[in-house]
Amino acid sequence: MKIDNSLPLEYSTGQNQANILGFWIFIGAEIMLFGTLFAAYFTLVDRTGNGPTGADIFEIAPLLIETFVLLTSSFTIGLAIHAMRLGKQKAMMAFLGITLLLGLVFLSVEIFEFNHFYHVGAGLQTSAFTAILLTTLGTHGGHVTFGLLWGTAIILQIRKRGLTPETANKSFIFSLYWHFLDVVWIFIFSFIYLKGLM
Amino acid sequence: MSELFPRKQVMGFVFSLILTIVALMVYFSDMSFSVGMTILLITAFIQAALQLVVFMHAGETGDRGSIYTNLYYAIFIALVTVFGTLLCMIWGYV
Amino acid sequence: MDYFDRFAVPHPSPAIYASMVAIGLTVIAIFAGLTYFKKWGYLWREWLTTVDHKRIGIMYLISALLMLFRGGADAIMMRAQLAAPENTLLDAQHYNEIFTTHGIVMIIFMAMPFIMAFMNFVVPLQIGARDVAFPRLNALSFWLFFMGAMLLNISFVVGGSPDAGWTSYFPLASNEFSESVGTNYYMFALQISGLGTLMTGINMITTILKMRAPGMTLMKMPMFTWSSLVANIIIVFAFPVLTVALLMGTMDRLFATNFFTTANGGMDMLWANFFWVWGHPEVYILILPAFGIYSEIISTFSRRNLYGYKSMVGSMVIISLLSFLVWTHHFFTMGQGALTNSIFSITTMAIAVPTGVKIFNWLFTLWKGKIVITTPMLYSLLFIPIFTIGGVTGVMLGMSAADYQYHNTMFLVAHFHMVIIPGVVFGMLAGLHYYWPKMFGFKLNDKIGKVEAWVISMSTLLAFMPMFFSGLDGQARRMYTYSESTGFGIYNMISMVGAVGLAIGFCLIVYNVYYSTRYASRDVGSDPWNARTLEWATHSPVPEYNFAMTPQVNSLEPFWDAKKRGHELFTGYYEKIHMPNNSGVPFILGCIFFAWGFSFIFGMWIPAIVTTIGIFACMAYRSFENDHGRYISVNEIQKTETSRGA
Repeated sequence: MKIDNSLPLEYSTGQNQANILGFWIFIGAEIMLFGTLFAAYFTLVDRTGNGPTGADIFEIAPLLIETFVLLTSSFTIGLAIHAMRLGKQKAMMAFLGITLLLGLVFLSVEIFEFNHFYHVGAGLQTSAFTAILLTTLGTHGGHVTFGLLWGTAIILQIRKRGLTPETANKSFIFSLYWHFLDVVWIFIFSFIYLKGLM
Repeated sequence: MSELFPRKQVMGFVFSLILTIVALMVYFSDMSFSVGMTILLITAFIQAALQLVVFMHAGETGDRGSIYTNLYYAIFIALVTVFGTLLCMIWGYV
Repeated sequence: MDYFDRFAVPHPSPAIYASMVAIGLTVIAIFAGLTYFKKWGYLWREWLTTVDHKRIGIMYLISALLMLFRGGADAIMMRAQLAAPENTLLDAQHYNEIFTTHGIVMIIFMAMPFIMAFMNFVVPLQIGARDVAFPRLNALSFWLFFMGAMLLNISFVVGGSPDAGWTSYFPLASNEFSESVGTNYYMFALQISGLGTLMTGINMITTILKMRAPGMTLMKMPMFTWSSLVANIIIVFAFPVLTVALLMGTMDRLFATNFFTTANGGMDMLWANFFWVWGHPEVYILILPAFGIYSEIISTFSRRNLYGYKSMVGSMVIISLLSFLVWTHHFFTMGQGALTNSIFSITTMAIAVPTGVKIFNWLFTLWKGKIVITTPMLYSLLFIPIFTIGGVTGVMLGMSAADYQYHNTMFLVAHFHMVIIPGVVFGMLAGLHYYWPKMFGFKLNDKIGKVEAWVISMSTLLAFMPMFFSGLDGQARRMYTYSESTGFGIYNMISMVGAVGLAIGFCLIVYNVYYSTRYASRDVGSDPWNARTLEWATHSPVPEYNFAMTPQVNSLEPFWDAKKRGHELFTGYYEKIHMPNNSGVPFILGCIFFAWGFSFIFGMWIPAIVTTIGIFACMAYRSFENDHGRYISVNEIQKTETSRGA
């Protein structure tokens, strides 16, 4: 394997560059995945049957926490990658840890919120609207959960092996994933919650 | 310590907070649906672009052409799917 | 329903019991054979754990051929049932299951792996690469596809086949109207193999964008590589839609949600919508690689360069976008009004234009070419007129007002078979004969090949032309019988003759493989067709590292230039070559996915949770694994190259 030292560690081998480009293409597929969920959501949003509407069940407080927590985590993972490029492994691990903690807070609030939905009569089976709402939020939440597991695996690997072309590459790709989840959340925040609350 | 907080990313973060607060005006102030949706569309897409360019470094390598083509293509098809679906499922029946 | 009743076949018949016995005996025979000949180790080391794109391509090819016969058996039974009015060979339920599985198997498990076979085998060779960008992901893609296919194929002996059509429209596909687990099989088989396809898409795009030989710019790529690139772009953006649609359908069936129900706000039309948002691009995913193969073959056997390379590329890029803009033409009659229908009618007719451009490019390539008629070329020449019939009737169907007459009749069935068989199947068979020497080191017999091509093409016309007429007369598709007074009998009898002819044609291919394996000359060299592109510049069969030295490219047809104009393809000296290690994880993960799907299909929650954990465990294992691959030494390369006569 040829290592090109003029590039940042995460781009330093041909395989690394291919991994990053491949992940960008995967993000293209993810855009379509969430695009389809949004298409379904907008189609079904008014089809509430006997169940509640969005305005009935959305609450602003958990929404604000989720949004600011996730935005901040997107900022901290950016800082982690910056620290990685400076070669500061400790700072990078700290930022990565903070990111995952914030992700955990987000997930807890979301679970609390799902519990709230359930108690106000918006279960998965209530209506087409509740089904697509919970599926869209759940798909995003599932991605965050997967991200937490993935991020933990990366932290363990950096602790064991240090910053190598492989671990740097994985961290960078993980950061792309995490930022992307933030982008998706911005659309959920705007077009599911705020549009519903408006 | 300060080298760990690059200006570009800090400014990006501040800007994304501002955009979020602007979007929240839709909830906290009283405005018509179309004005609200316009604000949300603008803030959401700027916010997304900000993440892609500032945080995700979409344009930093020789692959930027492929990456941007991929993103534009995905966004175009996703929008076609969303609006085409609405056309076929809701608007077409009016 | 009693717990164990769900595993029984809901509508048993002697044919199904006979198949059960046949499956059992085949499995025992395979296991006994492997044990007797002591081939378990060979199978595991050389095939099940392989990450070599060529072997994966060959495994796709074998699966595709097997599935061709599975889907073909369904087709013959369907045609036999319809051959005479008021026939009682099959009952309605059995007929429903057969037309459903015929569609799924032929599209998802025959045509898809066929194109994947050629993409895997040919693309890295055409661009001068050592392998695909992500070899292990490639193996995983194959095993996911394969396990999805197996899952669907066990459905008719365990629990019952899907029976709501390959489109599986709701509410018909809901629990209320499709009580057996058949539609669950549909959801999970497609979901699992769809994941594999999506991974292939990402893998191939990255390979083509990042791993081309030095000097090969995008506009110097061979046409098959271009068509694969475009097809994979469509895959990456179309398959997530299927993923979401299947997820919603699965939740409706397993968790009683209300996406596609007719109560509590559910909207059954949304399924049809999403199905075709994926389904229409899927058509172009299948046809574009076939077009790429035709381009290679027509150019090779006209002994000249492809006419209108740039317009060919341009038309494919346009098709890739337009293919996402036409899906509503599959349900013009659903009631979305004249404006919506008109919009999609126009986009539908527009997409015929780039396709027409390609037809003219092939014709102009033939014009003033020195045409050599070989089996692959014969398939390609037969493709053009027959495909045009299918294409033109497609434009007829694309007119939304007229579509009210054609919708859901045999006219539609005739149209899409007239597109897919000459378009995709002839293309794949042409590719099979064309690339066979590169894969196995000998040619398929040309005489038998030409007989195949004529039998298959004429039988296609015989089988499907009558359906245009019976369709216009009002014969609906998916009806298991019709009365004598309709007068459809004669049309269907002719179709039956055509179907038998197709079966004979496909059996001839098998015979050809057998005959050529025994008798064909092994001395065909690396370039038996006098071809033009890089895949013919290495040995046949191809060594595992593909090219001993990376080829240098400075034109569209580097190999042709090397032969005719003295272009130096390989310069420099041997260097050690980095190769990925084999891995058993993709195969094991595929098996776990199979069990995962099976558990969900029958609602067995504990195995479902266990297998889900297993999937994550495999992924974690892969993440923590520290595998840097291996090197092939210069000595070894020299030895291989000398033994192959370099």
